[in-house]
Amino acid sequence: MRLTEIPTFQPRLKVFNRDQVLAVHGAALEILEKTGFKMEHPGALQMLADAGCTVVNDDWVKMPGYLAEQALQTAPKAFALYDQQGNKTMPLVNGNSFYGPGSDTTFTIDLETGQRRRTVLQDTANFAKLVDGLENMSFAMSMSNPEDVPIENIYVYAFAEIVKNTNKPIVFIADSGKDIAKIYEIACFVAGGEEEFQQKPFILNYSEAISPLRFPENVLDRLIFCAQKRIPLCFPSGSNAGGGAPVTLAGAMALGIAENLVGLVVHQLTNKGAPFLFGPNVSILDMKSTVVSYGCPEWSLTQAALADMRDELYGLPIWAFAGASDAKIMDAQAGAESMFSIITSMLSRCNLIHDSGYLEYGGISSLEMLTMNNELVAMSRSFTNGIPINSETLALEAIERVASVPGSMFLTDDHTFENFMQAQFLPKLLDRTRYDGWAESGSTDLYKRCNMETKRILAEHQVDPKLDDVLMAIDKVCKGR
Amino acid sequence: MNDFQVVVDAVHKGDIKTAVAETQKALDKGADVQEFLDKALIATMDDVGENFSKGITFVPQMLRSAKTMQECMKLLASSFQEGAVKSKGKVLIGTVKGDLHDIGKNLVAMMLEGAGFIITDLGVDVHPDKFVHKAQEIEPDIIAMSALLSTTMPSMPLTIEALEKAGIRDKVKVIIGGAPVTGKYAKEIKADSYGSDAGASVNLAKSLLGLS
Repeated sequence: MRLTEIPTFQPRLKVFNRDQVLAVHGAALEILEKTGFKMEHPGALQMLADAGCTVVNDDWVKMPGYLAEQALQTAPKAFALYDQQGNKTMPLVNGNSFYGPGSDTTFTIDLETGQRRRTVLQDTANFAKLVDGLENMSFAMSMSNPEDVPIENIYVYAFAEIVKNTNKPIVFIADSGKDIAKIYEIACFVAGGEEEFQQKPFILNYSEAISPLRFPENVLDRLIFCAQKRIPLCFPSGSNAGGGAPVTLAGAMALGIAENLVGLVVHQLTNKGAPFLFGPNVSILDMKSTVVSYGCPEWSLTQAALADMRDELYGLPIWAFAGASDAKIMDAQAGAESMFSIITSMLSRCNLIHDSGYLEYGGISSLEMLTMNNELVAMSRSFTNGIPINSETLALEAIERVASVPGSMFLTDDHTFENFMQAQFLPKLLDRTRYDGWAESGSTDLYKRCNMETKRILAEHQVDPKLDDVLMAIDKVCKGR
Repeated sequence: MNDFQVVVDAVHKGDIKTAVAETQKALDKGADVQEFLDKALIATMDDVGENFSKGITFVPQMLRSAKTMQECMKLLASSFQEGAVKSKGKVLIGTVKGDLHDIGKNLVAMMLEGAGFIITDLGVDVHPDKFVHKAQEIEPDIIAMSALLSTTMPSMPLTIEALEKAGIRDKVKVIIGGAPVTGKYAKEIKADSYGSDAGASVNLAKSLLGLS
């Protein structure tokens, strides 16, 4: 029997129907039109007023819904991040999912002592190098707030350190219009010039408004700078349910989306067609500890809902999180929470997914956890790829051979030899050895194995080095010339 | 059985209407204001705080109890002015220059108020000079500063320097908090102490002032 080609269904999670999408979008527009927002950037305020917004009490703005709709029209529906060697490694389109670490943690788990300690610049370097060596981590982020660099240039130093230790794309933080200009200067050196950078951008800026509805001047400086230079940008405010936003997820999403739309409008008014990664961060404020949870199911749920809003309405690629935990060490809780967000973010087709390797609700970064998540992403991909149906995978001939030839078995059949690598997920760190073998090789748990694998990668992995004149230029920018 | 059991229960439940009505009744009957404050309000909030730290009470419930207490306190305001009752101490609070994130700061203010402190809240983005001027005016026992961003943390030592220059640093206790703030940092900038979360701030304030 010959089969006609059957497309493979890839498992997909859906949270919102169209009515829900339209209701949340409508609520977001109503917030902008009727409640309004506080715009503390004089230039942006003027831009909004000129475009048709009403300004009351100096800096309180009410925005007609059509401005948001126009901005959604002019922003690109797809764009790509390139690696630092000019390869298009992150096409943010068609529900592609890319994972990577997060930004400023105060603490890290020391690879040698296992103790929680303050982060330093060497940690930034280690995380970047580890990302470079992990096949399922697509971009780098600082993962630390180094204590040993001048605070006024902390983000420039962190960025320079990442550039020196990986060639993957970089999601970066800046403080103001000043340091972001320095970071851009470094990025242009790496790309070989401003024009080259614009052709193949390898950086994306993370900036955020303050929920509820407050837009500080330094944040908008960055947004406008990125729009002018066409540096891709995400603008997720912390509209966390119960903290910066209402405790109910629908209202928190509406508020976060409203805040995102304000950013998008200013962004597109500045430079139509500049790339903007859509989406707020809608987690919850924990009602016992008052921390913003990174292990809760709600954040996964709201970003899955946002992915449905993208597909039904917005069309812009979205920002998301996964692979993080509220646990203080890399324990079973860390594994459970990490996997929960990794698999659901993939099943809902989130696009740029950050914060992998966070412990303590973003207070601690863990190299071992990033290594673990590299494998959990692979495991999730293997699931999300679905089950291809064709004559090779149905394997009726193999079944016939094994059934009809006495003494034969599938394990020795050619079909198994030819297909097993694609047909199965082959874990490297998740342990399936028999008990005695496991005991003989040291009775290790996953944390220990991730620790060893991380040390191996940091010792053995070679990052293609930057040219000397690029390195010198970077140091000049850091030191302020 | 506490003489003020109905008020105690109402504060526990966050039943503002009943608590206020019963407070008025107690005052009308000529209850001792200090005793009422201590037994009906502060002791109850201590209880609520205790339940919160044990994980029995959730934040919104605790804040509702604190709000209930504040509404009752309003009826006691004239007694404070006459000096008939004493507060635990005065706290001047704000987020430091450059920082606009105030959820944590607001929580600390409400919890301290619930514990019987008098709070003066300077809001967000507070310049060191503003801390100094207000401190000179109201003579607080404690100055509490918060920062969410590592880039605004340097405003903390600048505020402490400003207090030194004004000659009032040794007259107040300085406590700091916020996500990137650590105990080590508190020592480095010569703050008196650091609180890891809002819940810790009450015990911190009490112990710095030598209260039980």
